[in-house]
Amino acid sequence: MNSTIELLAPRYDIAWYPWAVQYFFMIALSYATLWLAAPALVFGKQKWLPTARLALLACLATTLLAPVALLADLHQPLRFWHFYAYANTHSWMSVGSLILPLYVVGVIVLTWLAWRPALQANRQAPGIAGFISRWLSLGDSPTPPVLLVLVGLSTLVFSTGIMLYTGAEVAIVKARPLWNTVWLPPMFVATGFIAAAGLILLLNRVMGERCTVVSGQMLKVMLGACLVAGLVAGSWFLDGINADVGSVAAAMESVRGSAEWRSTALWGGLTGVALFGAVLYLLTRPAPRRPALYAWAWLLGLVALHVGWMFRWVVLMDVQTVARHSAGFHHYGIPAGSSGILGIVGTFGLWLAVILLIDLFVPWRQARQGGSATDVSPGHAVTQNAANTTEGVSSHG
Amino acid sequence: MDPIRRSLLGQLARLSAGAALVPLSSVANAGINQQPPRREGDPTKRYGMLIDLRQCIGCQACTVSCHIENAAPLGSFRTTVAQYEVEHQETGEVATFMLPRLCNHCENPPCVPVCPVEATFQRQDGIVVVDSDRCVGCAYCVNACPYDARFINERTQTADKCTFCAHRLEAGLLPACVESCVGGARIIGDMRDPASQISRMISEHGDELMVLQPEKHTMPQVFYLGMDERFVTRPHAEPVALEVLDPHGKEMGYEFHH
Repeated sequence: MNSTIELLAPRYDIAWYPWAVQYFFMIALSYATLWLAAPALVFGKQKWLPTARLALLACLATTLLAPVALLADLHQPLRFWHFYAYANTHSWMSVGSLILPLYVVGVIVLTWLAWRPALQANRQAPGIAGFISRWLSLGDSPTPPVLLVLVGLSTLVFSTGIMLYTGAEVAIVKARPLWNTVWLPPMFVATGFIAAAGLILLLNRVMGERCTVVSGQMLKVMLGACLVAGLVAGSWFLDGINADVGSVAAAMESVRGSAEWRSTALWGGLTGVALFGAVLYLLTRPAPRRPALYAWAWLLGLVALHVGWMFRWVVLMDVQTVARHSAGFHHYGIPAGSSGILGIVGTFGLWLAVILLIDLFVPWRQARQGGSATDVSPGHAVTQNAANTTEGVSSHG
Repeated sequence: MDPIRRSLLGQLARLSAGAALVPLSSVANAGINQQPPRREGDPTKRYGMLIDLRQCIGCQACTVSCHIENAAPLGSFRTTVAQYEVEHQETGEVATFMLPRLCNHCENPPCVPVCPVEATFQRQDGIVVVDSDRCVGCAYCVNACPYDARFINERTQTADKCTFCAHRLEAGLLPACVESCVGGARIIGDMRDPASQISRMISEHGDELMVLQPEKHTMPQVFYLGMDERFVTRPHAEPVALEVLDPHGKEMGYEFHH
């Protein structure tokens, strides 16, 4: 056996920038929150209505933001129309570019239908809120719930297309063995649901809802998603442990060859297990103690968001630093400008702005499965609905 | 872990949860992600390159001439020669191994089907090119190439790669790298013409020729003569070119240990 030293090889830059992480993160939050809004809005489960309202708010904001980040990751963003002028069926990205607008429109229409009765009830409100309500509610005809169910169902179908294409697009890339595994798409979805449940826990706190029922439901979703993620990760590992080449072999090689990858793997594993343990702990406390404990669930929400975002960062950014036909790893430092830190912070800032604008001017707390303005009593609907449908103690205020 | 237990665990995983996802993976790799039809170029030709490593001295004349001919931005390369110092562990003898690298103009190019706008395509003569007027710069092809042959040109903000100097071939000239190679290590030609030098060399050296990463099933059309099979895949080498950063994290240069 010889020992070999690489004397000369170019440094290869990464090709997908942090914008890609932002897109994958936002779109995962988007489809997962849509599914969390669906039980109440599409399937009429009243118990899930408080969750659905928060989920719908999160879903609309992330759905509006995701395409912005995606567009920014193009080196020629103004040529986005080429996607439609030269659409084809052999590229997963092209297939995705056809599904994405359908999905975005679906979410916007669904949200509009769910908010419309409340907007109609809010037409007399003073100032901008009243103006927006008059303008957005488009007349005072009742909103048939069946329309919302139909739009909801088709948007759910489009959202599975989004789950499939975002996963497949990355998983088919044989040039990056770490990506090239069937276990990557389900892992994107599972970590997406972990993050989405976390986001709703967080919104439940910062929007002042503090609803115990929402916390309980989201902790259960998170527990399930953590279990699925653990199962997928375990299957990926067992599936590839024998192979000399492939995703697991490449991961082992990276972990062996780099202290950074070792600490990333350790951090990921520990955070996942800690999150799972904490959620399990909260869910198994005696019922009287739960409200006090659930008040802190938003902290787990932050951890869950961290898990969802970091998974995408490691998969999309760190994997690109693994050299493909040269030795070792390529250096990547996050630039300060728009293709780096500014882009990451900017995406979140824009997202926050969207949430705040909606909160200021749109009565999102009264979202419902269709109906007419007379069904909504402005300002009280949330409390009434929550009180009517909850079994445990809700602590509004 | 002992190998029997490992194989058992692996089979277990495949039999249980894996089975559910197998149809999904076949959908991902069939239908979608198939090669689109080739277009343009001369259908009677199939260009390929043979690199005689016995003749390569690592002078980088190809790297420089390609840079001048194709005006690639500094730091990005359509072709380059990677160099390795190989030490025999028993004798301590040291030798330098040269690996000229460029686009392999694969028969099954993974960079082509991924393009969402068909800006990158394979011509009927086998050359893989990019229509930079159509390219949206999504960089999907850059990630899909296992050979680092593609990059985003920072000036045009579109995908860039070796074209076998198609513009020169059409004018009856040799590619810049072939023209400038002092040892005559690079041989380009039409592999459909049995009388061409490349066809004669392929039939003469058939079994000795190697391609890069054959396990990826890309079927590269750049053939290496005098290749060490340890360099066919990602070399198990120690990277020594460490970047030296200034206190602000900006790159100042390289440092060589050893």
